[in-house]
Parts: sequence; structure tokens; C-alpha cells
Amino acid sequence: MSDIHSIVTSRQLSYEQKVVALAHAAEDTLSVLPMPERTRYYFDKGVICNLNEGNAPYRPRYIMPDYAKAVKQGVKFLQMAPPQDFDELLTFLQVLYRHVPSITTYPVFLGDLDALIEPFITDLSDEEVKRKLRNFLIYLDRTITDSFCHANLGPQATRAGRLIMEVDRELEQAVPNLTLKYDPAITPDDFAEQAIYTSLCVANPAICNDVLNRDTYDRYGISSCYNILPIAGGSYTLTRLVLPKLAALTEDKEVFMTQLLPEAMRCMADYMSARIRFIVEESGFFESHFLATEGLVERDRFVAMFGLVGLAEAANHFAPGKKYGTDAEADAVAEEIMETITAFVGQYECPYCEIANHRLLLHAQVGIDTDYGITSGIRIPVGDEPESIYDHLRHSSRFHRFIPTGCSDILPFDITGKKNPAAVLDIIKGAFSLGQKYIAFYASDSDLVRITGYLVKRSEIEKWNNGQAVLQNTTQLGAPTYASAHLANRKVRGV
Amino acid sequence: MGLVRKIIPQSTVDGPGNRVAIFLQGCNIRCAYCHNPETQAMHDDEAREMSVGELIAEVRKGIPFVRGITVSGGECMLQADFLTRLFAAVRDLSRETGHPLTCLIDSNGTIPFADYPQLMALCDGVMLDVKAWDTAVYHRLTKAPDNETVKENLRWLLSHDKLTEVRIVCLPETASVTTDVENNLRHIAEILDSIGKKVPVRLLRFRPYGVVGELADTPMTSEQQMSDYASLAQSLGL
Repeated sequence: MSDIHSIVTSRQLSYEQKVVALAHAAEDTLSVLPMPERTRYYFDKGVICNLNEGNAPYRPRYIMPDYAKAVKQGVKFLQMAPPQDFDELLTFLQVLYRHVPSITTYPVFLGDLDALIEPFITDLSDEEVKRKLRNFLIYLDRTITDSFCHANLGPQATRAGRLIMEVDRELEQAVPNLTLKYDPAITPDDFAEQAIYTSLCVANPAICNDVLNRDTYDRYGISSCYNILPIAGGSYTLTRLVLPKLAALTEDKEVFMTQLLPEAMRCMADYMSARIRFIVEESGFFESHFLATEGLVERDRFVAMFGLVGLAEAANHFAPGKKYGTDAEADAVAEEIMETITAFVGQYECPYCEIANHRLLLHAQVGIDTDYGITSGIRIPVGDEPESIYDHLRHSSRFHRFIPTGCSDILPFDITGKKNPAAVLDIIKGAFSLGQKYIAFYASDSDLVRITGYLVKRSEIEKWNNGQAVLQNTTQLGAPTYASAHLANRKVRGV
Repeated sequence: MGLVRKIIPQSTVDGPGNRVAIFLQGCNIRCAYCHNPETQAMHDDEAREMSVGELIAEVRKGIPFVRGITVSGGECMLQADFLTRLFAAVRDLSRETGHPLTCLIDSNGTIPFADYPQLMALCDGVMLDVKAWDTAVYHRLTKAPDNETVKENLRWLLSHDKLTEVRIVCLPETASVTTDVENNLRHIAEILDSIGKKVPVRLLRFRPYGVVGELADTPMTSEQQMSDYASLAQSLGL
């Protein structure tokens, strides 16, 4: 009750943030999910973490509507006919986005924005398109007040993509995140270089290795914190295994590998299965929500993300004095952990995940604001990065191969990179050819900074730290993480 | 063996894309604005004798992140035979790894490229410093007697499609030494025009970092002046 009172009377939460927090509090008064004793134990130890998904899920965590289909057939429930011109398209999308649920209550995926727009701008001048895009993007930034929101570009170079990036450079916004799907055989260098230049100005777009990600499903999109998910589907849930908390329960690596890890994974997988069942069988989402009833999402295109965080600290725990990222011994422990986890999810059968062959899919979870001393997913801890960026990227490539539904690295680049985006592209091409799946970067002097996957403005963090209300929810998450994960000390890569 | 001053595994300012930049020790001229004068002496305790194999091991670490190497100096053409062997070995490395690598030379142009056909066959291009056009201006800047060879090299490289870019350092107008950028640009434009080739001309902004001697306290060239030079270059079709 006191929690609810403090939500209601908060001076630091905006009205919308209060409403969401109250809804969460209400949901958490239910307890509909089974919680066996050992599962409870791992929850209490912080080993299994449901990322505040709530105790009674009434929608999938991440939803990836088929926007191209919506634009073609219209949306009956919203009384929206298929758009006929650019203005109608932008209004159509604004309305539709407003009604896409997710864990954050905001849409986490806005579609392949360039491909959606391209056919509607053929008769308009660049200036006309940019004026309309500017208003559209400002609307998104100010109403989707949560930067776990993602629009995709590429891999084809389009006029729409180019104009979106031009406007993005002008606006310097945290929302939406942009990712360019990049395939050197499809994406021309000049388009990729424009993306890199834009990213060194406004920390957007990130670059996704299209070659390595496109076969994960038939059609994929990047949502939220770089989740690789099926379009017209999504993910029911993302629960995470906090590896350092599990490692802390023993000093014996054998015990960890053969007893604790298998038991904790089993508990977590069963818990995730229960969440999936509740969403599918009890919540009514797939029978009643217009996205499902109008075919914009399909139940059998949803997956479930088995998250991992803090591989580095867990590996270091069993390789005392060694460091994941630079010491072979710690890296070998990390690889053994990953192989054990991969083997588990390879044989565990979960319900209602047809598109994933009834398997949970691994995800390198990036961390949350209350993590302390836990590095994102499979990343190298800030401060332990190898001296050479090439060694850093080789290391990432070695571990990215384990993760199908999203893993990434974030690199701050020296601002001289802006003068030679082609050089940054060379580095990306090299990393992608080795197996790196996704890379995000920003210039070391940028106001926009990528926290774990999402963007926050350093200037907004200042405001929040001074006790002022801020528009974006993610500023509240980013402020403590920026400090506790020492993100200001990320190794700046000179180019 | 080559005498190597420094290797930068990730350089974005020594030619197109990301490159391994190798700086050789020793220079035959003494530019007043030189920003790494420690590379001028023909011998220096900080420079290291390295074999082609040792350098190749360094270049290998850059694969697949670099698109090639650039050898600079000092004046790397003073070690032209070593360059020839190095570039041949880089070709072999490309073949072995399947990763294409280009070899560029960054040179002051005082040594005739025409005299090294074998090297030029292996070299993908030269970034040529055309420091000044007028002989007296050039002499005042570099202490070298004249710049006839530089001009010959400009023509030769252009007509053999080996000129990657022309580089001009732009000093502030207030500096005690001039490079007469305007005159330089006009003559370069004329030659490009007469041979009918397009080659990028890079205007480098003078910065006093590392500079010793009479220009050590000269301020950085202003943005305004750089953009004036850029406009001039554009108006000349460069």
C-alpha cells in the first residue's frame, strides 16, 4: 500500500509514468504463476530475474506487428483504411503505433520505416518529405516516452532511408532507436557510410549484421534493446539468468556446471513456460486483440527469450585473477558456460514456440538499472577491454555465435571518425565477416549516449539526478546505470 | 631491413578507409611545419630495424579490419628497395588470407618514382605532398634546393594513374613562412587539367602540435582560412 501511495504522490514521476506504475502494482497483487520452492529460491537469490514483467502477463512482452500488411489492408478495429498518400501513411502509423502493446506500454518496434515510406514519397521533393518526417519523428519522440523503441532501415539503400537519417541528424532524439540492417553485398558503401556518419553525430543508427541474422527466422526485425525477433510475431517473455549471482553460490566450478547451472536453467525455463501458457491460454490476448484477430501478428510466430547477463563476472569467478576479454583461461570458462547453456536450451521443449522449433532462444540481456557489478550479456566489462579494438571485436565474434535473439557491442569512437566514416565501415565489415552480429557506437562527445541498448541524453540524466521530472522513462533507468556501470569510462576507440 | 619509427594499427588519416600506417625513419628535407621532426634524422635510437616478415606480422593483425597499408615517414622513398619487398609481401599476404589489401606511399616527391618501376607496379597509389609551387618558396620551407622532381613526379604519377591524392599543408597567413597555397593550387589545377585527370586535393590544416623551430608557436590555421582555400580549390575545379 505504501508503494502505491509513493507512486501516487511522487514528484519525480510524470502522470503517464504514474499510470503505468499503478498498473504494474495492480497486476502484481495477483499470483497466477506456479512458483516451486527451488524456483522461489533462485528468485530470492537474484539468480532468476523476470525483469519486472509482472505476475500475470496479459500481453506478450515484445510485439512486432506486420506493418507492411497493415498498410496494405488497413486496420478495421481502428477504423483506418489503407493510406493513399504520404500524409495518410504518417497518420496511419501514428494511430497504429499508439495501440501496439508491450511490456513498456509503448511500441517497441516501428517497422522497416524506410521500406514503409519509400513508395509514398515518389512525387514529393526532399524538402517536403523532410518537413513531414520531422513532424512525424518529433511526435514519436514526445509521445513514445521510452527509448526501448526501434525502427529499422536497410539493407537496401533508399531515398527514404537517406532522408530519415538526414532528419535524425537535425533532431538529435532518443526515440526511435534506428538500426541499419547491413549486408555488404546489398548495402552500398555510401549509404552505410552515411549511417555511420549519422551515428557519430546522434548515436543512431546501430548496425546489424544482416547476413548473420536474417536466417534466424523467415522475416526478422530489431526491436527494443536490439532484440532479433520474427516480424508478425515477437517474444512472449524475456526472463534472465543472472550468472554472477549463481556463481556466487559456489567456489567449485564443477558444482556450478553440473548442478547449479542445470537446476537454475530448468527452474527458469519452467517459469518461462508457465508465463507463455498464461499469455496464450488465459490472458485472451490472441483471441481478442485486433493485432491478432486481423492477422498483423500470428500466435505461432512468437518466441521466448532466455536471457543471460554477466557472463564476464561468472567466468572471472571461476578463473581467479584472470579477466574475461583478455585472458584465455577466463574466456575458456565463459565458453564452457555458454556451451552448457546452449546444450540445455537445445533440448528443453517449451510450449507455443513453433517458429523456434519449440525451443527457448538465447538472448544477451543488457542489464537493468539496479544491476551492480554485472556486465551486460556477454560483453567485456568496462575497464577490462583489450587494448586493441581488433582484439575486442575478435573476442565478441567468438561469443556472439551463441546468441540468436540479440547480442551487441557498444563502442564510443573518437570524434575524428566523423571525418572518415569509410574507416569505421572497414572495421565493421571486418567484425561482421568474423561473426559479430550487431554493433552500436557513438562519438565520445555526443549528448546522446547508448546506455545498454537504449539511448539517453546526458543532459537529461543531469536533470533527473537533480530531482527534476523528465519526459523519458529510460532516462530514469539510464541515470543510475550510467553511473554504476561506469559507462563514462568505456574505452574510446580512436579512429 | 627497414628502419621503422612507428606503426599505427588503425589509421583513418593516411589514405582511404582504415589502414595500417607505417612510418619509416629518415627524411631528406627539413620542412618548417613538420609535425614529426623526430623522424627526420637518418638514424635514431627510437627507430627500429625491422624485417619485412616482422612488419607483415603487424599488418596481419589488422586483417580483416583494414583495407591496406600506407607507408609514410620521414621520407619512405629513401628506403625504396625495402618498400618493394614489403609491398610484394603484402600482396602475398592478401593472396594467402583472401583479404584484399592495397599499398599506398605517402611521399614528399623528391625521389623520382619513374626510377622504380618494380615498386610502382606493386604500389596502388601515392599520396604526394606538393608543398609549394614556386622554387624559392619551396626552398624557404624545406631547405631543399628546388622542387623540379616533385613536379615531374606529379606529372608522371598522374599519367600512370598512380596518384591517390595531392596533399597541401596550409599555414596561417600570419606565419613567418609561407606555402603560397593559392599559387600552388592554380598550378596543380592547370596540370590536372592538361592531363585530363581528376584527383582529390587534400588541404591539411596546420597544427602546431609536435612542431619544433620557427613555427612552433604559430597558431592553428583558422577554420575561415581553410574554408577560403577550399572555396578557391573548388572554383579551380579541384
